[in-house]
Amino acid sequence: MTMTTASPIPTRGIVAAKSPGFGTTLVSEWTKLRSVRSTWILTGLAVVLSIGFSAAIALVMGLTSEPIDTFSEADRVMSDPLTSSMPGLLFSLILLIVLGVTAVSSEYSSGMIRTTFIVNPHRIRVGAAKALIVGLLGVAIHAIAVPGMFLVSQAIYGAYGLETASVTDNQAARFLLVVALVVPLTYTLISLSIAYLLRGTAVAITAAFGFIFLTSNLGPLLPAWIQQHVFRYLPDIANNSLTGFTPPGDVTYLSPLPASIVVVTWIVGSLAAAAVVLSRRDV
Amino acid sequence: MIELRGVTKRYGSAIAVDHLSFTVKPGHITGFLGPNGAGKTTTMRLILGLDNPTAGKVTVNGQSYRDKGAPMQEVGALIDPSAVHGSRSAYYHLLWQAQAGGLPRRRVDEVLDMVGLSAVAGKKVGGFSLGMHQRLGIASAMLGDPPVLLFDEPVNGLDPEGIQWIRSLLKRFADEGRTVFVSSHLMSEMEQTADHVLVIGRGRLIADVSMAEFTQRSAKSHVEVVSLRAHDLIPHLEAKGAQVMKSTEHELTVTGLDAPAIGAIAFEQGIPLDELSPRRASLEAAFMELTHDSVEFRASRTTTPDVAFVS
Repeated sequence: MTMTTASPIPTRGIVAAKSPGFGTTLVSEWTKLRSVRSTWILTGLAVVLSIGFSAAIALVMGLTSEPIDTFSEADRVMSDPLTSSMPGLLFSLILLIVLGVTAVSSEYSSGMIRTTFIVNPHRIRVGAAKALIVGLLGVAIHAIAVPGMFLVSQAIYGAYGLETASVTDNQAARFLLVVALVVPLTYTLISLSIAYLLRGTAVAITAAFGFIFLTSNLGPLLPAWIQQHVFRYLPDIANNSLTGFTPPGDVTYLSPLPASIVVVTWIVGSLAAAAVVLSRRDV
Repeated sequence: MIELRGVTKRYGSAIAVDHLSFTVKPGHITGFLGPNGAGKTTTMRLILGLDNPTAGKVTVNGQSYRDKGAPMQEVGALIDPSAVHGSRSAYYHLLWQAQAGGLPRRRVDEVLDMVGLSAVAGKKVGGFSLGMHQRLGIASAMLGDPPVLLFDEPVNGLDPEGIQWIRSLLKRFADEGRTVFVSSHLMSEMEQTADHVLVIGRGRLIADVSMAEFTQRSAKSHVEVVSLRAHDLIPHLEAKGAQVMKSTEHELTVTGLDAPAIGAIAFEQGIPLDELSPRRASLEAAFMELTHDSVEFRASRTTTPDVAFVS
């Protein structure tokens, strides 16, 4: 490989005279995210696996269930066509955690984080830009996956004569909107914050998975007292109240306003904690 | 210009850098030398705002690095260039940096061309050799065409052509009036490149002098003289203030007089010389002597090679 020993150094003054702002930082973080293959693999998998899995489950339900008229009341509640169409969330939510964590932790594991903060020493601005970009990508993923899961499942239910839900139902609209827009922000932004705090990929994924995902899935196994006084205020469990999934009588139920406050506080609070640690700590 | 005033950095109970004060001026290549673990990289990290000093103040062009609005256009740094995301291409690796610095896209192509990596711009960085990593790091340091340059071991992994290229690049940068601050372990290379030297050992500044002064000051230059009548020469040399050591019957090691002077004395006395060779102190020897007490990690006696004077 030849080197151009004679190549001239560009004369000074032709580079931009303006100072970079938040907009350029956003563009830079988006370039970082979109220029690695893992981002697109994650995105593709999240969409494909979630819709595919929901479709598969719907197909199983269709093949093994009786038409709607023979269902007793209890059975109908169990096979709520709205929430039953969402088993694919298992995949998309875990992948959102991985996305949120690795967007940050990969910089630490490769050591590129040093380049990042040499190029732009305004760390909070960089972290905020990254959070915004990652959060938007998460929302975009769910904006495709959630309606995808819903519509595909309803189509399969209908084909097998099962009860279907429609987006025009109030309950369905609220649920779908929250799951498509709020839940991905909860998952990606809290995971991202955990990654800034813990820095290691494995430990951050484990912590985020345990704190966000496992708590809401294993919570029901715990004594009611813990569920009511502690778990009710955890981010994903508050999400469940917000979507309308948790019935008002349940021990972890929160009405919409308190649920919103809890979710927003967790997202903003975790980002703030990450910001404080990031600006103080040696890189 | 880079300025450090009383900078101390402590990690727990270990002191990495201890009351460091120096100024790196523009228009020179300032070499930053020290044994492993002396605090060179820590110092560079403190200058770039990656670490916070425990005490003291460090500024670049009068301003703390983290306060700068457009640092890429002021300071270019090469620190650990293999710290890159392996699955990203060289082009995108430079592009996100250019964008972060508010620089136009064409700068990416320009710096790739400058370092000779245009042909592999689209290749994933993970497949790069060490030399290619170094050149990519230099490219990213030059994106903003900055007046201050910080290079941590820039010739690491480069072949002789590459080392010469770096040397000419650094010299040109200094001639353009830029501030060039280079740390290195490669003594012989530093000797040919830098004109000012900062030596650090165990976190303390040991020397802050010009290169010429440094090589002369610490290690002793001497002259090897071989003559069949060496014995007759000795008193005449000593009369002129030289110290003479006899290595063998006919070989002398003379300090305090340079070769021309010795030659002149021998000529006056009619003493024929078989050999008259000046041994200039090398930077390596000067450095080893100066930092002898500061070496943090030293190999055992059996494995350390002898330090040789080179002419």
